[in-house]
Amino acid sequence: MTGSLLPVATPRRAGRVVWTQLRARPLATAATALSAVAAAAAGLLAPAVLGRLVDAVDRGTGSVWPYAWALLGAAVLAAVLTGVSTVLVARLGETVLARLREAVVDRALHLPSATLDRVRGGDLLSRVTDDVAKVAEAVTSALPQVAAAGLTVLLTLVGLGALDWRLALAGALALPLYVLALRWYLPRSAPRYAAERVAMGERSQALVSSLQGVDTVHAYADEARHRAVVDERSGQALRITLGVFRLFTDFGWRMNRAEYVGLAAVLAVGFWLVRDGDTTVGAVTTAALLFHRLFGPLGLLLVTFDDVQSAGASLVRMVGVADLPVPPSPAPASGRPAVELRGVGHSYGGAPVLADVDLVLAPGERVALVGASGAGKTTLAGVLAGALRPTAGEVLVDGAPADLRAHVGLVSQEVHVFAGTLADDVRLARPGATDAEVAAALRTVGADWALGLGLGTLVGDGGRTLTAPQAQQLALARLVLADPPVAVLDEATAEAGSAGARDLEEAATAATAGRTTLVVAHRLTQAARADRVVVLAAGRVVEQGTHAELVAAGGRYADLWSAWTARG
Amino acid sequence: MDGHPRTADGLLRRALRRHPRELGAATVLLSLHQACEALVPVAIGVTIDRAVATGSVPALLACLAATALLFVVLSQAYRYGARHVVTGWWTETHRLRVEVAARVLDPHGLRGAPPAGELLSTATDDAERAGRVVEAASLVVAGTTALVVSAFGLLAVSVPLGVGVLLGAPLLVGLLQLLGPWLTRRTATQQADVARAAGLAADLVRGTRVLRGIRAEDAAADRYRRASRAALASTLRSAGAIGAYRGATVLGSGLFGVAVAGVAGALALDGAMTVGQLVTVVGLAQFLAEPVGLLGFAGQKVAEARASAARLVAVLTAEPLHPVGAAPRPGPGALAVPAAGFHVEPGEVLGVVAPDPADAESLVALLGLRRPVTPGELLLDGADAAALDPAAVRARVLVEPHAVVLFEGTLRTALDPAGAADDTALTRALAAAGAADLPDLDLPVADRGRSLSGGQRQRVGLARALLRAPDVLVLHDPTTAVDAVTEADVADGLRGLRAGRTTVLVTSSPALLGRCDRVVVLRGGSVEAVGTHAELTGHAGYAAAVLR
Repeated sequence: MTGSLLPVATPRRAGRVVWTQLRARPLATAATALSAVAAAAAGLLAPAVLGRLVDAVDRGTGSVWPYAWALLGAAVLAAVLTGVSTVLVARLGETVLARLREAVVDRALHLPSATLDRVRGGDLLSRVTDDVAKVAEAVTSALPQVAAAGLTVLLTLVGLGALDWRLALAGALALPLYVLALRWYLPRSAPRYAAERVAMGERSQALVSSLQGVDTVHAYADEARHRAVVDERSGQALRITLGVFRLFTDFGWRMNRAEYVGLAAVLAVGFWLVRDGDTTVGAVTTAALLFHRLFGPLGLLLVTFDDVQSAGASLVRMVGVADLPVPPSPAPASGRPAVELRGVGHSYGGAPVLADVDLVLAPGERVALVGASGAGKTTLAGVLAGALRPTAGEVLVDGAPADLRAHVGLVSQEVHVFAGTLADDVRLARPGATDAEVAAALRTVGADWALGLGLGTLVGDGGRTLTAPQAQQLALARLVLADPPVAVLDEATAEAGSAGARDLEEAATAATAGRTTLVVAHRLTQAARADRVVVLAAGRVVEQGTHAELVAAGGRYADLWSAWTARG
Repeated sequence: MDGHPRTADGLLRRALRRHPRELGAATVLLSLHQACEALVPVAIGVTIDRAVATGSVPALLACLAATALLFVVLSQAYRYGARHVVTGWWTETHRLRVEVAARVLDPHGLRGAPPAGELLSTATDDAERAGRVVEAASLVVAGTTALVVSAFGLLAVSVPLGVGVLLGAPLLVGLLQLLGPWLTRRTATQQADVARAAGLAADLVRGTRVLRGIRAEDAAADRYRRASRAALASTLRSAGAIGAYRGATVLGSGLFGVAVAGVAGALALDGAMTVGQLVTVVGLAQFLAEPVGLLGFAGQKVAEARASAARLVAVLTAEPLHPVGAAPRPGPGALAVPAAGFHVEPGEVLGVVAPDPADAESLVALLGLRRPVTPGELLLDGADAAALDPAAVRARVLVEPHAVVLFEGTLRTALDPAGAADDTALTRALAAAGAADLPDLDLPVADRGRSLSGGQRQRVGLARALLRAPDVLVLHDPTTAVDAVTEADVADGLRGLRAGRTTVLVTSSPALLGRCDRVVVLRGGSVEAVGTHAELTGHAGYAAAVLR
């Protein structure tokens, strides 16, 4: 089940999505198209005037001034139109891109838990990072260039045709050769580029893991092996990169051949036309100069073809996510409900992880869950938080089935400090909260260090690095601000060191005060403070009662407690 | 150390010296390519002049054949020249990258080491930019060659025009390059805003599950939408600057073309030059922008390479954290930090309780040689650790930190990086660490152990340390992510496997402390109390630290 991918749209669907966006802005779209065509056309004026000048020289009469003025006019016109069309293309492309990336991120953040568990972690992240970046780069740099180059090529052929259709035909002889070069290159390069990306990723991975884990590498005298892995992976990436480039230079050679064939054909056909008196030397000069000027844009079109293709691949991946339905967000509930698990069982497809769990959490009651690794504690917490749907039994809120996500807040061992200010991080839980409310939430969980630093302190990626207990305190402060009636804490204090764990336990107690709460407890002091203790073994409840009752009962829990206090 | 150049320029010079064959071949071939490119407009002009204007078939055939030859030389020169350049560039990049990795991994350590993220960018981006000096060097020669060939072509047609174009072209390209920094300034904010929005998206998506737990998906999506709109607004503002820049580029080269064509046209109309010469001059004037641009590009790349080389030199020649020292003599495994009154007897299991986490962190960093050791600060079997070789000390004293780092591979390679132990030993170590729920030794382990839960990671780290069976084992909070049931089992397993071997447990877990031979309380950098767990439970400070 794990390792499946998010949907990918068909190219047709992606095209329709972009078209819909363009149709919503008819004026901007029309102006952009018009200015791009005009700019490309203006670029052809100079060679045409030069051709006339050559004719005048050929005749040996006339003044240079009319030609100079015409050239000046053409240069200014081309410059202005190029500037305007650059701005318009960027405005339209960037606006459409912004709408699309917002839709992608919105859907990504709303993916159902079940989908999140199923898809490969990297896939989701790469849709909102790599794919967006790739399409953005295409829109910002490739799109204006490719559009301009494509129009220039097209209009040059039209211009050649206006001079003489036979000259246009001669120049067009190069096109099939270009197409052949591309058809030779693309199928060979695509898999190599893919392999190169993989190799570069593995190289970075080897470097990152060695650099970040250098203390561990030293401790286990593992230096030679890590050096060898870096050397090997960097060498592998090097070999692939050189292979790809070799292929590219072979492609370049094929492009040069096409250029020559076109140029020679224009000159030869021009030669016969002039000899037969069908055209002038100036027209042939114009044609040759026009064609020589095409080398640049044609080369650009072919070289950026890869980028355009990979941007297309990213676009369909973006649209695939943007087209996902938005699951409705339940309105947050309030109050202080009782929660009941009735005959709950769960399996991930194999042997059941939970079986016949009956458990009632009274309103405002604090229940601690104790058990060995693999006993099913996290699964039980997931079911109660509404992240997992039980495969047997049901969960009732105040005696009735309900959308648990509306009632339950979950803090798990998965810690994430959101990049931005401390206030921004906590305020995600309630966007309208005032600074005073944010500060109060932080104070509740004992995060006085945060108030000391100031709410404007940058934290997370690119900001101050917080310790594991500090990060978990922020998570608890978010819980306070979100204010759910029911709280589930799963190993919320596990990653902290022993001293930090105690402070976190106090923070967790404060954050869940007054809420109906289930705590997955690692330290028995945590269990001792709860209203009731539930001991889970192999997916079943084996003991439950108050701390005092269970210690007195002399069962498994009592054994643990005596080991803990060393008084046994 | 290791004889790396000590200056940025020294590093770049060494880069050039290390690839003589690639550099030599690339320089010759790329210069040839540039010269041929310059000759294409000349060839067009000559063809118009000699063949099209005269109607001579033999002249046409000769011209087309000569142009064909020109194209063959041009494209083959580029094909092989570019390959040599890229081979030199990327091979140098690879060597620099491996050298950085080797320096960082050196057991003697790195004084003032930058953070891992910065080291990564030095090993990837800086290595790539510094290696690029190979390309820049050959482009400088090739661009100069093209300029010289164009100059000869122009001067052969008309001396005043040639001089004018040769002065005007670099001036024009220079002026346009002055616009570069202006554009960079105008677009810097935009790039920062776009990068911020992209970073926010990645950050929010990484925290999706956390957001889900507190129903903050809508708030997060709103936050991204605002950042995306801000980035868009900023992009639209800078679009004007980009448009102006592109317009100015087109205008500049257009005006230059007008001037050249005007003067050449006037000369041609006066009969001072032929039609073909006119075409040649106009074509060459168009072409000149390429080599001048190439020289500007190469200059920019050299500047980037120097900045990157300086960062590389800083890492490659950084002072070591620990000097090269002698190997320790074998001993029973006694450890002492005399200034702190801290002694570990050979063969005992010692618990260390530090009410202030900073005391624990400091002790563990010292024992793991993660910071410099002053003479007499740390004694191993009576020998001064400051005079011993760090690798040799670590071979006897193993410190497993609280945050366990596992490397990519299988459970087997995570437990036994050296591949020295058999499966029975691996399974025994796993069992002692309470990790019997991980029976499959071929289980794939993702980098940093991300495929395992926090508790599993911690227990695999513990098993790895136990398997190593060092003379002295130091464990820092080894069971914080382990449930109470398993912790009790781990404490028993640990005693069994470490019987008779020196073991230091820095922890406040009663389950572990209860099984230690002795427990010391560390406060303010020195030992405050000594006793057994049972004796110390009466001690008020101890109970507050451990039994709270």
